[in-house]
Amino acid sequence: MTYSNRLSQEAQRSLLERLRAREEAALGELYDELAPWVLGLAVRILQDQAEAEEVLSEVFVQVWEQIDRHDARRGPLTPWVLSIARSRALDALRRRRRWWRKADRWGEAQVGEDAPAPDPGEAAVPGWPVHQEVHAALAALPEEQRRVVLLAYFEGLTHSEIARRTDQPLGTVKTRLRIAHAKLAEGLKHLKDWQR
Amino acid sequence: MTDWLGMSARPETTRPELRAAVLARARGAARRERWSAGRTLAAAAVLVVVVGAWWAGDSLRRQHGRTRALEAQLAAVRDTVRFLRGPGTRVVQVPVHTPGRIGSVTLFADTATGRWYVACENLAPNEPDETYQLWFATEAGMVTAAVMPMQDSRPMWMTVEVPAGVARVTGAAMSIEPRRGSRVPTGPMVFQVKL
Repeated sequence: MTYSNRLSQEAQRSLLERLRAREEAALGELYDELAPWVLGLAVRILQDQAEAEEVLSEVFVQVWEQIDRHDARRGPLTPWVLSIARSRALDALRRRRRWWRKADRWGEAQVGEDAPAPDPGEAAVPGWPVHQEVHAALAALPEEQRRVVLLAYFEGLTHSEIARRTDQPLGTVKTRLRIAHAKLAEGLKHLKDWQR
Repeated sequence: MTDWLGMSARPETTRPELRAAVLARARGAARRERWSAGRTLAAAAVLVVVVGAWWAGDSLRRQHGRTRALEAQLAAVRDTVRFLRGPGTRVVQVPVHTPGRIGSVTLFADTATGRWYVACENLAPNEPDETYQLWFATEAGMVTAAVMPMQDSRPMWMTVEVPAGVARVTGAAMSIEPRRGSRVPTGPMVFQVKL
């Protein structure tokens, strides 16, 4: 397993310190590192390029303003930024009046998601190996577990909403989520270890 | 591990011009934040000054009001003293017997100006439906001077004036009347005195 395209632990620590010191160049470096992933996540949730770019902008504003709130002991910078991106994208999704129409398009977009065909140059994006690992961990889940994870993460649905959407009992949804999270934690634990 | 799930989405190529716009917005927002904080502090300072000025002004107004009230009281006292010591003022003190006690009514009567100062001491309180009523005794009969209901036996002072058009006042009287007073004396006389 290689992380040649990712920031080393030491480099990330240094980047964090420079961000806290309000060094604007560091913000540019963070953007170069994470913008494709933030935008990708926002596009995945919103299925709308313009809205996703707005979310991208909001995320970096928030990161720049709230960098002091990031607690390095609780996790590395990348998932923290991605969690902000997810929250802002889900906020935008909830605000959207065309919710159901967009949700339908999102459902259609799901069809090809399991078999990603990298665009030329995509693999050169920083963090691509991590993407492959996370994607592989998700793909390794049984379909019913992967579905509940995706509904919870990318649509921000509650357990009850997932139960209604999948027409499954609430207890079943909770169980599937719990098992899926345990499998993901096991499969991806080295990512967390790497950051420590 | 959900922290890392965001990486499962495929990366999107960002438009080159987006980078500069996003970074400029982030830096601008931070500056606005600092500017906003500065403005908040300035607004707070202005508010403190305004509130302080209002408080000082209000205190001065209150102080001025108290001063004017004291000046008015002092003027009233001086007027009373001047009246009591006036050369045309006659003083008559009348012992008064009311139920259960002996008190007095002192009349300071300036016959020239028709202004009287009346001091009542140690009079028994009235029954709830009764009142003391002071009368001017004139050649044409009794004319009401004042209705003086007394709730307790504390001393009472008052200034009364002889109504215009009343014939020469020859004396004074006090009676116990119904609570609202009477046009002519109807109740028991407390005292009756000639000047």
